[in-house]
Amino acid sequence: MLIFSTFLTFAFVSLAGDPRQNLLANPRFSQDSYDRLAHTYHLDASIPVRYWYWVQDVFTHKLGRSLLTSQAIWPDLTRVMGHTVQVIGLAEIIALVLGIAVGIFSAVKQYSIFDYLFTSVSFLGFAMPTFWLALLLQILFVDIYLKWNVRIFYTSGLNSGVASNTWSLDRLQHIALPVATLAIISFALYSRYMRAAMLDVISTDYIRTARAKGLPEWLVIMRHVFRNALIPIVTITALNLGGLLGGAIVTETVFSIDGMGFYFITKLGQLDVYAVMAYLAVTAAIIILFNLIADILYGYLDPRIRYD
Amino acid sequence: MPDPILSIRDLVVEFKTEDGVVHAVDGISYDVFPGETLGIVGESGSGKSVSTLSILGLIPQPPGRVASGTAMFKGKDLLKLKKRELRSFRGDEVAMIFQDPMTSLNPVLKIGFQLGEAIKTHYPKQPNAKVKERVIDLLRLVGVPNPDSRYDNYPHEFSGGMRQRAMIAMGIANSPSLLIADEPTTALDVTIQAQVLEVLKTVQQETNAATILITHDLGIVAELCDRVLVMYAGRIVESGDVHTIFQNPRHPYTIGLMDSLPKLTEDEEWLRPIPGQPPSLINRPPGCAFHPRCFLSQGRLRCREEVPSLRAVDGGRDHYAACHFAEELVGHHSKFSEPVAGGVA
Repeated sequence: MLIFSTFLTFAFVSLAGDPRQNLLANPRFSQDSYDRLAHTYHLDASIPVRYWYWVQDVFTHKLGRSLLTSQAIWPDLTRVMGHTVQVIGLAEIIALVLGIAVGIFSAVKQYSIFDYLFTSVSFLGFAMPTFWLALLLQILFVDIYLKWNVRIFYTSGLNSGVASNTWSLDRLQHIALPVATLAIISFALYSRYMRAAMLDVISTDYIRTARAKGLPEWLVIMRHVFRNALIPIVTITALNLGGLLGGAIVTETVFSIDGMGFYFITKLGQLDVYAVMAYLAVTAAIIILFNLIADILYGYLDPRIRYD
Repeated sequence: MPDPILSIRDLVVEFKTEDGVVHAVDGISYDVFPGETLGIVGESGSGKSVSTLSILGLIPQPPGRVASGTAMFKGKDLLKLKKRELRSFRGDEVAMIFQDPMTSLNPVLKIGFQLGEAIKTHYPKQPNAKVKERVIDLLRLVGVPNPDSRYDNYPHEFSGGMRQRAMIAMGIANSPSLLIADEPTTALDVTIQAQVLEVLKTVQQETNAATILITHDLGIVAELCDRVLVMYAGRIVESGDVHTIFQNPRHPYTIGLMDSLPKLTEDEEWLRPIPGQPPSLINRPPGCAFHPRCFLSQGRLRCREEVPSLRAVDGGRDHYAACHFAEELVGHHSKFSEPVAGGVA
């Protein structure tokens, strides 16, 4: 899987254009050195051969060096990954906690005002394009700053002063809006799925059995309904991680955050094949890892699933 | 006769649907006496399950609603209790066994835990070790082999019959004085049915609980019940002790039910079904709900205009039927009128 998909993307990115093309604009750059460059970086070889060179680089040189800057990719990638993990991790936690809580309440109080309110909110979240929501939030907080001169949240970057990779109030003020953007969209998804899963379980026979035992309603919900309803949510969460990483590309670009998405879109624009490939390989690995975690969680939540 | 343990009067249960109000149970009254087994029979949709589920507050509300009636249990009207008070009865004094053991146990919790939960809910101060001991005893009582190791099994590791045994164990966990079994054998194979019925019998003797047995299987009624209620379209059409009902039925519907069963001792080419379909409970036929399918009615005006009340008939002691012309059935024997009803199952 991993080999096939990386080869395919490698071929496509390589064929998209020649990363040397900007150099030709420089009149002092000779055709000779231009050709030599191609040879040094194996740009004159065929795609399968170049792919093979890349695979060797991945294992021997930690994903190799950038084609444009000749800098090692790995340190760059770990730096941006740290930032993205902060943003996505926080967004995911907020979305999951709120989504599950709202999903439970909506299902228990089906067709109540609360339920209708959050149904509307969720559909708004579904319908809203990420970039537009991001821009709206930016405008809102820029306006607040301009009108009242209060700085609640920053609208771009990661830190106001010197960059540091630790948690701080300043960092939180910076990532609050991108986190909110990603969280709102995932929240919409989780709360709807949780509600539907809860309702499915509530109408089953074994919930009637639990009630017939005389269990208090909150125990019926938390002990019997909740655990069964969580099973589909695990799938959705694992699947949605890809969506979040994709959403990060847009969000990080809008908020100028030095994260994976921003890194990817910049390098793609420069046709820096190796950097793009490094991003894709790492992303693919993360998604595969989380699907594995989801599968393991299944076995824990649902005793009918066993791995032998 | 002793005082009834459960006494239901004029119970009306309705369900609001998009097509109109479904009158699932329409003014039924009955008593259950200590230690007896009362069978409620009728076809699907006759209101037999709803009539018992509703008194425990176990029908989905909305759309369901108990419109009127009383259900006196140990001096309290179950229908007027607060949710909390009603809950303290459920699973303790009054326990239920449900139809489909495949879906009635929570798939992600261990059998032992689910049984223990029934005890813990009502006796939270019981130490866990004692609850476990009791659960294992219960599993042994209902005939689950190796109850010690089965305690830690999940429902999917049990067969259908074993699950129903576990359900029965759950029902009797707190030695209820009233046990309601809602079609306990319907979802099982015939051989397993027989075993589960044996377990039910044992359990009844052991706990001496009054039992309401809801079923559409007359064979089970003949085997287990002391008295029978026959329900049709949300009303009781006939009630009496089991021998009377089988020997001297006084309602055309009851006769129809019995005639539609095969009998082992006779060589029959065809079964004799009741003609027509069960009525819609939204637009019930006026008068006697059974009149469009009745062999006795034959277009008589009274059947179409007047709802027959449940009245004493001369078939036997405490024998009631809701038919204007019940007397015409004197001497009309069902297939099972003769000597005993033993060969039914």
